[in-house]
Amino acid sequence: MPTVLENTRSPISSPLAAALLLLISSFCASLYAQAADTTTAASGVRAMHVLGLEGVKRNHHGTLSVQPSGLNFDGKGARSAIAVASIQDVFTSQDTRQTGGKVLTVAKMGVPYGGGRVLSLFSHEKVDSLTLEYRDANGALHGAIFSMPLGQAAALKKQLVDLGAHASIPVEMQTDKKDDK
Amino acid sequence: MKQNRSPLPATLAGIAGPALLLCIVCLGIPRTFAAETAAWSIQVEPVASDEGQLPPDFSMAVYEDLLAQLAKTGQFQQVYRSGDHQADSVPNLLILHMTLLNFERGNQTERAVTTVKGATKVQVHLKVSARDGNTLVEKDVQGTVRLFGENLKATYALAKHIADTLRDASLPPPTAAKAAGQ
Repeated sequence: MPTVLENTRSPISSPLAAALLLLISSFCASLYAQAADTTTAASGVRAMHVLGLEGVKRNHHGTLSVQPSGLNFDGKGARSAIAVASIQDVFTSQDTRQTGGKVLTVAKMGVPYGGGRVLSLFSHEKVDSLTLEYRDANGALHGAIFSMPLGQAAALKKQLVDLGAHASIPVEMQTDKKDDK
Repeated sequence: MKQNRSPLPATLAGIAGPALLLCIVCLGIPRTFAAETAAWSIQVEPVASDEGQLPPDFSMAVYEDLLAQLAKTGQFQQVYRSGDHQADSVPNLLILHMTLLNFERGNQTERAVTTVKGATKVQVHLKVSARDGNTLVEKDVQGTVRLFGENLKATYALAKHIADTLRDASLPPPTAAKAAGQ
């Protein structure tokens, strides 16, 4: 009796199937990335407290989120909030920051023939900064500055303005200014 | 009996005496100075500038850094923020005003690569006056970041220079200042 040869080829082994799989996986990845982005916007933004918040050390990392009560900063062992009603003004701007921290700074100094300077060209990133002016119960003026990944500050400012925070420069105008640059 | 005492204790005593006296004098001077100037309290106003001349983050950084530096020196009894109602009833209050003279925003990358270009500079005109308007200190002060650090480090340098200026200014005691103002 002749033996029937079964087709044992896996569907993945075909180039067409592999391409299809790649397409599906990339589509899934993009969906996941979008979902992750939305989660960040809703649950908070990773930010660094530059200065100004009571009870939080300078250059402390944490999560910045807008709640109905105001702006909350949650860091490791430090938490602070600014009530929307107390906010006098909100500003956003852009700046550059060195990446790699002190380790890279020391490493750059150690590179011979000025090679560290070349390294400096590639070890900077653009960041957004969010500046708040607010007054406490005694009427005393405070200022708080946060730095965060590019493109996040305008969204936070918009959320704060929507909740009733005062901003002397409207969100749209500040975005336009950035585009002009 | 032969007395073979070494002259070392006598020498030590000879050095230790004046050294101790010097220490007492040195420790006493700042304490007296602090006691005199601690009678003053100070209220810090934010930097006054034309619109758009100084970015808000720099303005707030100068203000916050200066408050921290003044509190750190211990030169003043209390350091009040702008608009603080608690300062209204303080008798010996100085008011610190800053007017922007010059601002140059540098670039950290440029600083790190060239080491000579890209400095960030903030220069203000400092004016410290009593409540009656009598000006006690007036000076132009500058803060710069030239090589390492972010642009906002210039505000820290400026705040430090202002605190140093006030420390070196030897403010008159409140009563003397009031008499001079009348």
